[in-house]
Amino acid sequence: MENTLTDPAFWHRIHFGFTITYHYLFPQLTMGLAWFLVYWKWRALRTGDEKYNRAARFWARIFGLNFAVGVVTGIPMEFQFGTNWAAFSKYSGAIIGQTLAMEGMFAFFLESAFIGAFIWGEKRLGPRTHFLTAVCVATGSWLSGFFILVTNAFMQHPVGYALAPNGTLELVDVGAFLLNPWALVQYAHNQSAALVTGSFVIAALGAFYTLRRIHPEQASVYLKTGTLVGLVASVLVAFPTGDSQAKMVGAYQPATLASMEGLFHGERLADVTMIGQPNVSQQRLENPIGLPGALSFLAYGTFQSYVRGLDEFPKDDWPDNIELVYYAFHLMITLGTIFILIMAWANWKRWRGRLESSTALLWVLMLAFPFPYIATSLGWMTAEMGRQPWLIHGLFRTNNGYSQVVSSGDTIFTLIGFAGLYFVLGLLFLYLTGREIYKGPDAEHGAPSHQEVPA
Amino acid sequence: MIALWYGILAFMLTTYIVLDGRNFGVGILHWIVARNQNERRQVIAAIGPLWSWHEVWLVGTGGVMVMAFPRLMAASFSGCYLALMLILWCLLLRGISIEVGGHMSDRLWQQFWDAVFVFSNVLLAVLFGAALGNVGRGVPLNTEGTFYLPFFTNFGIRGNVGLLDWYTVPVALFGVLTLTAHGATYLTMKTVGPVHERSVKLARRLWIAVIPAFVIITVLTWFVRPELLAGIAVRPVTWATMLICIAGAYAVVNGFRHQREYQALLGSTFVLFGILMTGAAALFPVVLFSTTDANLRLTAADCAAPEYSLGIAAAWWFPALILAVCYLVIIQRHYSGKVNVSKDNQGLY
Repeated sequence: MENTLTDPAFWHRIHFGFTITYHYLFPQLTMGLAWFLVYWKWRALRTGDEKYNRAARFWARIFGLNFAVGVVTGIPMEFQFGTNWAAFSKYSGAIIGQTLAMEGMFAFFLESAFIGAFIWGEKRLGPRTHFLTAVCVATGSWLSGFFILVTNAFMQHPVGYALAPNGTLELVDVGAFLLNPWALVQYAHNQSAALVTGSFVIAALGAFYTLRRIHPEQASVYLKTGTLVGLVASVLVAFPTGDSQAKMVGAYQPATLASMEGLFHGERLADVTMIGQPNVSQQRLENPIGLPGALSFLAYGTFQSYVRGLDEFPKDDWPDNIELVYYAFHLMITLGTIFILIMAWANWKRWRGRLESSTALLWVLMLAFPFPYIATSLGWMTAEMGRQPWLIHGLFRTNNGYSQVVSSGDTIFTLIGFAGLYFVLGLLFLYLTGREIYKGPDAEHGAPSHQEVPA
Repeated sequence: MIALWYGILAFMLTTYIVLDGRNFGVGILHWIVARNQNERRQVIAAIGPLWSWHEVWLVGTGGVMVMAFPRLMAASFSGCYLALMLILWCLLLRGISIEVGGHMSDRLWQQFWDAVFVFSNVLLAVLFGAALGNVGRGVPLNTEGTFYLPFFTNFGIRGNVGLLDWYTVPVALFGVLTLTAHGATYLTMKTVGPVHERSVKLARRLWIAVIPAFVIITVLTWFVRPELLAGIAVRPVTWATMLICIAGAYAVVNGFRHQREYQALLGSTFVLFGILMTGAAALFPVVLFSTTDANLRLTAADCAAPEYSLGIAAAWWFPALILAVCYLVIIQRHYSGKVNVSKDNQGLY
C-alpha cells in the first residue's frame, strides 16, 4: 500500500475538507440568524415594542462576530481552488468561476457594504432605513449561499456544459447551470438546515437566561421565536427538502445512495437501515435492523422499486470510504429526527404556557445547540464523500484535480498552519461570544469601550 | 472579449490594491503616527468595518480570474503556493487584529493585537509588491505551462528564479513605500490632533521619496523586462492611464498645498491606479513571461475561457459593478468625515 504521508491527493482533500468544514460553522449561523434579525426589526417597526429592537441589537453583535470569522476563513476557500486544486480550476474554471465571481460581485458587496451600517448605524439611520439594511445583509448572505450551492451542485450533477476542443469544460447554457434542479433542492435543504442552527442557538440562549433567571423579557422572546421557527425549519429539513434531496441522489448518483444505505446488493423492497454497520470487505451490513421497503419507497416512490446495490457498479466508481458516508448519513438522519422531537416538545409546552417553567426541557434546549452544527457538517460529509471518487460527478475524478506542482509536504505544512491559526481563532471567538452572552442583551452597546486609557 | 476580460481583471486587482493598500499603509504607519492607546484606536477606527468590503474586491478578483482565465489562475496560484498561503494567513491575522484589538480592555492584549496588525500589514504590502514584481519579471514556466517558485534562489532574474531576487525585492520595497504614502494620505483625511499632524508631515516626505524610487524602478524594469516599456510606447491606452497618474500626482501636490485632504486622497488613489493599470496594459497580451525560455510565455488568449462563458459573464458583470458602486455611494455618507474614537466603530461588531 502506498504511503499516505506522500500521497498529495489525500492531503489536498484533507486540507480543503478541514478548512471548508471549519469555515461553514460560521456562515450557517449568519444565514440562520439573518432573517430573525429582519423579523425582529419588522416587529419593532410594527408594534413599536422596544424589546424586539433590543433582541435585534444583541443578535446583531453575535451576527457581526460570526460574519467577521466567516470572512477571514472564507477568503482561503476561494484561493484554494487555484493553490490546491489547479487542475480542477483549469478544467472547469469557465463554469464554476461564473458563480464564484457572481458570489463576490452580487452577494458579498451587498452584505459587507451594509453590515457595518446595520450593526452600528441604528441611531443615525432611523428605524425604517435600519430595517432596510437588515434586509440587505440578509439578502446578501442568502445570495452567497445560493451561488456556492450552484457551484457545488454542478460538481454533484453537472448540467449546461460541453467539452471544449482543448479538453476543458465550457458553459453552453447558463440558465440550466444556474437553475440546476440539484441546486434548487440542495439550496432549500441547506438553508432550512441553517435556520435550524439559527433557531437552536437562539432558543438555547433563551433557555440559558431563563434557567439563570436573568433577562426574562429577552429570554422569552428568544424562546418563543426560536422554538417556533425551529419546529418549522426542522420539519422542512426532513420533508420535503431532505426527501427530495435523497430522491435526487437516487436518480443521479445511485452508487452514492447505495453507500449511504450500505446496500451492497440491489433488491426490491430495499430497507432503510435503522441500525447496522457496513462491512466493506465482506460486502454486507452487520446486524442490520431496518424498515422493509422504506428505501425503495423513499427513493423511487413505490415499495416494489428496485434499488441498485454497490455490486452493480465497477469498484472504481464506489465512494472511496463507504463506512464514513454511511455513518455520516445515518447520524445526520438521527439528529434531524431528534431535532423535530425536541422542537415539537418545546412547542407543545409553549402552547400549554409552560415553556419557561419546564426545567428539563430548558436544559435540553440549552444543551442542544451544538448538534445542528454537527448535523450540517455530517450532511456535507455525506454529500462530498458520497460524490467520490468524482470531483465533478461522472466527468472528472478527484485524483486528477489537485495541483501537480504542490507537494504533499507543502500541503501538510500549510494544513498544520491553518489548524493552528483556526484553533486560536476558535478560542478568541468563543471568548468574545461568551463575553457578549454574559454582558447580555440589556447592556448598552456603546462604542468601543475602554478608550479612556491615557498614554 | 479576451482583452475586455483582461481589462476587467486588471481593474479589479488594481482596485483591490488601491483600496486595501491604503489599509496596509495605515497598518505600516500604525506605530509611527500613533503614540498612545487612544491614538492607536483612532487609527484603527479610520479603517472601520469597511475592511471587509475592501477584501471583497480580492474575492471578486479571484472569482473573475478563475472564470475568465482558468489556466492563469491554476498556474500562478499553485506556482506561488507558499507565498499565497502566507498572504492568506496575514489577511486572516489582520482581520482578527482589527476586530479583536478594540474589544480587549487589557492594555497588554491591545498592544499585542496592535503588533499583529502592524506585522501582518507590513508583510502583506511586501508580498503583494513582490507578487507584482514577479508578474513583471516572469516565472520559470515549463513546457506544460506550470511552475513552482521557491522563496529565493540565487537572486538572479533569469532561469530558475525565486520569488525574491534583485528585481522583485526593490519592487516590493517600492510597493511598501507607495502604499505607506497612500495610507498616510488617507490618515490625513480621517484623523485629527497629533495623529493628523504626524500623518501630514509623513505623507509629504513619503510622496517626495516615491519620486526617485519610481525612477529607479522604471530603470530596473527597463533592464529586466524591456518589453514592458516597449509596450507602453505602442499601446495608446497606456497614455490614458499615465494621464490619470499625472493628474493624480497634481491632485496630491495641490491637495497638500491647500490642505484639501479629500483631494489629496483622491489624487493618491489615481496615482496608484494609474501606475498599476499602465503596468497591466503594458503587459498585455502576455500574462506570464517565462524566465527559462521566452517562447514558453503564457498569453491572455492561451489562458482564456471559451467565448460563450466570457460573453455571459460580461452580461452580468457590468450590472453587478454598477450595483456595487451604488452600495458604496449609499454607504459612503455613513463613513465620511473624521473618525471620532468614542463614537466610531472599529470593526464589524
